[in-house]
Amino acid sequence: MIMTTQTQKKPAPATAAARRQSSANLTGHRFAGPLFASPALIGLAIFLVAPFVLAVVLSFYRVQLNSPRPARFIGFEQYTRLFTDPDLSAAFGQALLNNFTFALIVVPVQTVLALGLAVLVNRKLRGMVVFRTFIFMPLVFPLALTAVIWRLIYSRGDEGLLNAIFGLFSGGALSSHDWLGSPSTALGSIIVMSIWQSVSFQMIIVLAALQSVPTELYEAASLDRANKWQQFINVTVPGIRNTLIFVALITTIFSFRLFDQVYLLSRSGSVDRGSTETVMTQIINTGFDNNNVGQAAAMTVIFMLIITVIAIIQRAAVRQRGGV
Amino acid sequence: MTIPKSRRRAGIFAAVAAVSAAALTMAGCGAPDAGIAGSSVEAGSGEGTVNVWAVDGQAAENDALKKIISNFESSQSKIKVNLKLFPSDQYTKAVNSAASGDLPDVLAFDGPTLASFVYNGKMAPLKDSVSAETLSNQTDSIKAQNTVDGDVYGVGMMNAGLALWGNKKLLDSAGVAYPTTPEDAWTAEEFTGVLDKLASVVPGGKPLDLSEQYGFAGEWGTCCSAGPVIWSGGGTMLKDNKAAGALDSDANVKSLTRFASWKKYTDPNADGLAFPNGRVALSWVGHWTYPTYKALGSDLVSIPLPNFGKGTKTASGTYSWGMGATTKKGAASGKFLDFLMSDDSVRIYTDANGAPPATKTALATSSLYGPGKQLQLLGDQLSKACGPEEKITETCVSVTRPVTAGYPIVTDQVGKAEAAIYAGKDAKEALSAAARAIDQNFADNDGYRK
Repeated sequence: MIMTTQTQKKPAPATAAARRQSSANLTGHRFAGPLFASPALIGLAIFLVAPFVLAVVLSFYRVQLNSPRPARFIGFEQYTRLFTDPDLSAAFGQALLNNFTFALIVVPVQTVLALGLAVLVNRKLRGMVVFRTFIFMPLVFPLALTAVIWRLIYSRGDEGLLNAIFGLFSGGALSSHDWLGSPSTALGSIIVMSIWQSVSFQMIIVLAALQSVPTELYEAASLDRANKWQQFINVTVPGIRNTLIFVALITTIFSFRLFDQVYLLSRSGSVDRGSTETVMTQIINTGFDNNNVGQAAAMTVIFMLIITVIAIIQRAAVRQRGGV
Repeated sequence: MTIPKSRRRAGIFAAVAAVSAAALTMAGCGAPDAGIAGSSVEAGSGEGTVNVWAVDGQAAENDALKKIISNFESSQSKIKVNLKLFPSDQYTKAVNSAASGDLPDVLAFDGPTLASFVYNGKMAPLKDSVSAETLSNQTDSIKAQNTVDGDVYGVGMMNAGLALWGNKKLLDSAGVAYPTTPEDAWTAEEFTGVLDKLASVVPGGKPLDLSEQYGFAGEWGTCCSAGPVIWSGGGTMLKDNKAAGALDSDANVKSLTRFASWKKYTDPNADGLAFPNGRVALSWVGHWTYPTYKALGSDLVSIPLPNFGKGTKTASGTYSWGMGATTKKGAASGKFLDFLMSDDSVRIYTDANGAPPATKTALATSSLYGPGKQLQLLGDQLSKACGPEEKITETCVSVTRPVTAGYPIVTDQVGKAEAAIYAGKDAKEALSAAARAIDQNFADNDGYRK
């Protein structure tokens, strides 16, 4: 008892002293703001601004990794190649298309799925903790590990788990599809695995928001004779609107920086790389497998510009509706 | 809301750019070293401590190397060895980014990286430091790998080879007679017929394993899958330092299309157990699976890869040993290399990892690859060395991968093309695109000539 009263008492004078000190030293101090911001600003400058400026600079040079040849200034050649060279522009375009396809499918599906799962998991039922744990589990395992399992699932031939299941239900009519090897299903397979892997993360965020919607609103709505569906549309969704927007935004970010799923699933099988290449995998491939750093830098700059445009459009759209 | 978003995105690109910047610095550091290879080696007193860099391999390999070093130190008293092991994925970077003063006296290198190490001025020629007996005892296939522009830069204890591993029980039950020497290798047409017969005796109807689990779009594809197919069909990847007209030749289109036609007989082998579990009768893979495959006992047979028209071909080459470009202890380093290549050392090392020995005397007495032994075929193949791909003949078997500092782009593009063809893409289209990408990169770097 004595101990607790002591600890309870102590903080008060300490904070009071700190407040007195700060008001004595920093009020009206011209450099206080910049001083406090400086750790973050220096970090941003070193890890964000400087590398980006360097990437822009590198994109004007011909730089080969591990080469004794000095970098050679070539102006806009890397950019003109990226748009006029038939091979390069086709590959870059395909990678961009794969990224956009991925985002267009994954963002809505994953957000809705996360909402659905969160609503289900939010029910007060016995053993819900177990369900929550299971749904959250894919996120806990490292992706490199789950990718090994998914390669077995998607494996061509009758040993593939997915093929085995389809074969069982169709009486053997559907089997032996090469999910990752066939260009028509390769990207789809990666989308499914990706959603499975990361939907639980979004679900947890939505779940937290759901639990913060005041119960009085539901009571009021039920007094107004709103049924469950009407409550969901008119109380739940508006109540977690900002969270849903946030979830959609981070899913968009994840979609555009898509790398690991593609790298792990398609590089290790015998897969036509073009069918699943994303801009990120292409940049890494160009810069570090082909050692062509200048070209890779040009790709990052173009990609950055594209993303900036998307960001501006999204921001405008959110603002129009009285956004966050 | 949107502000943190764009920042986060920028972060991703910035991270890539940061690494690129580091790479630029690295390239910059390498620059002053260029062109001084060999010029700054000093023989020294033949005493003192020799610094050695090697790759952190399997535990058994590391132990064998340490045992050889302790044997060396106890065999004489003047030279000590200071061994430093690097993780394999960091090794090439470590050598490339080492300033000329930081290079070790003796270093291990992977075959395809040698040309680029020499190009970057990291390696010294061995002819004045290593004894003539050691050099003449090297098998032709490893010598071809370790020679750049006429100078020998490396000596090897072990080599590597490929074969079709066969399950004799399954082959017999399908009534298939199989070749045991490179000269009798199945032609590609015969091989298709063999697969048809075997399909009826294996449980899943897919009798072939092409090691898809390694992925074709990478080094396995180039060295060990597309490579032997291309070389055996009379084609090459490069010709006069150009891929156009070589990689996209009609011969290569024909050979790789044929190879892709075997997909319907092929078990994807996602679990790596297709052969030991008896799901397939034939497995196209390297010597390194022998420790797993030997569980089949006397049912395990080695068969040469199919002949696409110009005789069966296999890739060869692996880690070897060379000298740093700026060593001040050339004589002592040479003595250590001589000791590494002695029969005893080679035997200790190859017993540890099961690889075929790369010296003539050790190969002749090998208990696995020697005459009359279980893997004699792989030993035979290695002794029939072609050298690099432009010197291929009908009768030689072991081909050295292209010796050029531009190898990274070659292996990336050839593997990518093979994977695309195997996935069903038109072979001519895929190979032409690969050839254009390779030639563009070579042109950007002045053909990687000094």
